[in-house]
Amino acid sequence: MEDLRINSVERKEKVTIKVNGKDVIAYTGETLLAALIASGYKQLKKSPVLKEKRGGLCGMGVCYECLVTIDGEKNIRACMQDVRAGMEIGIEE
Amino acid sequence: MKNKKYDIIIIGSGFAGIASANILAGKGLSILMIDENFHVGGQLLRKIPQELGINKKYKPDYVKKIGNAFVNNLKRDDIEILNNTSVIGIYDNNEILIEIEKKRVASIHYEVILFTTGARERYLPFKGWTIPGVFSAGMSQVLMKSSGVLPSRDVVVGGSGLFLFSAAYEFLNNGAKVRSVLESTGIADKVKMLPVLLHNFSKIMEGARYLGKIGSSGVPIRFNTRIIEARGNGSLEEIVIGKTDRNGKLITGKEKIIKVGGFAYSYGFVPNIELPNLAGCKISFKKELGGWVVDVNENMETSIPGVFCAGEVTGVGGALKSVNEGETASLSILERFEKNGSIHAKKNKLLKERKHHLNFAKYFNTLYGIRDEEISEIPDETIICRCEDVKMGDIREAVSNGFISPGALKTSVRAGMGNCQGRTCGPIIYNLLGSVSGIEGKNFTLFSNRPPVKPVKISSLINRS
Repeated sequence: MEDLRINSVERKEKVTIKVNGKDVIAYTGETLLAALIASGYKQLKKSPVLKEKRGGLCGMGVCYECLVTIDGEKNIRACMQDVRAGMEIGIEE
Repeated sequence: MKNKKYDIIIIGSGFAGIASANILAGKGLSILMIDENFHVGGQLLRKIPQELGINKKYKPDYVKKIGNAFVNNLKRDDIEILNNTSVIGIYDNNEILIEIEKKRVASIHYEVILFTTGARERYLPFKGWTIPGVFSAGMSQVLMKSSGVLPSRDVVVGGSGLFLFSAAYEFLNNGAKVRSVLESTGIADKVKMLPVLLHNFSKIMEGARYLGKIGSSGVPIRFNTRIIEARGNGSLEEIVIGKTDRNGKLITGKEKIIKVGGFAYSYGFVPNIELPNLAGCKISFKKELGGWVVDVNENMETSIPGVFCAGEVTGVGGALKSVNEGETASLSILERFEKNGSIHAKKNKLLKERKHHLNFAKYFNTLYGIRDEEISEIPDETIICRCEDVKMGDIREAVSNGFISPGALKTSVRAGMGNCQGRTCGPIIYNLLGSVSGIEGKNFTLFSNRPPVKPVKISSLINRS
């Protein structure tokens, strides 16, 4: 999968997170939304009525379009969370 | 939280919030500053300065240097700061209810409250805008600047306003391919109003820097052009763009398809008026200030004594206007607490400068923004309220059945009832209803804001302190 990280940026600690059970590389200091997008996860949830695929829109906590499950807790805004080693993310596919 | 009551509570720690905190600190007043984000500095200073160094190529501009200095100089011993904390209710008797770190709620009282709640992006929905790969220009900036991640390796940037050019600049600087910049307004209108800009030299320089980079990278800038449709199965694959006339009406037969993986768009900003609205402050529609704004007097005090507002929430005008108003508000607050000094002279100087900021705000809010023609051309199948999947056709039908106030529309089709509480679709619906029933009409009321104004966890409510 393509990596959308900008090369010139110095990264902090490399960690592994799980996305729907799969190991994904991320770096501390990144928001969870950024880490997911960097690894190709653009679609994060489904809309409530039409079940359309949705992903981050505002990136700053307003739109609630990047809701994911974190360590079993549902409906968390990925843009408002920082990456933590070992966090288990669930996205609706 | 140390206290149950504070002399001053500041809601929001962007430019206006930190500028005011710096003046208020050290005067013997108890101050609490609350922000929903993990960091102090608001949307413009996404990372605290120590962390800004992650991108070696990233150099803060003139405005951000001012902001970083405010953050560095923040007198943290005199100000209590609660990050990752949302205001979920405001009540009579100067009381607010907050959710702290998504763990517990607490009620706090204040003598004076200052809302520096900033602004959020404005959207003009188009067919397919819900496809992943379509995102705001703001999201692109946040991803690139604070996490060093590109939302897509190739993009088209479109919409209206100066922010498009700063986003395109940032993409180019970070090695992304920008296929085109689409500006829905024309170039001729802009030249006419240039004299207003002369008092804002730093903004001219900023604009020149962006245009220089975009021009030298060979990126086509298309004026009078906007996106008609985004297409893709699960993620963006191509967009359809079209030419418009001077009023924003599409000219048929001039469509063009661009294959692209990302579409970053921006139609400027709308003030975050929800909390002052909940507090009962008078709010008016002022197109030249970005739409619905909180009314303030020269003290930055709202229609409710003891409730102050500063920054984008009183009119979209940029970081320096926010600093100016934050400082003015805090001098007024000091007067109220009778902590005088040479406040008068300082305040007069600030008020003079504020006129220039307001002139600039009027310039770009008049030039950019969404026109009625653009709203009337939104196809019926386009989703307007993303949270509840409400389409334009549903809204038009409800309006034709007489649901012409935002509140009535909300109960009839559920637009604005979901997670974001109308923050995304509200401004579009106000535009739409404004063109139907007259936005300045006496009967036009905004979506009402009620606690909880942000979704709150039940476990937090149980842990009430």
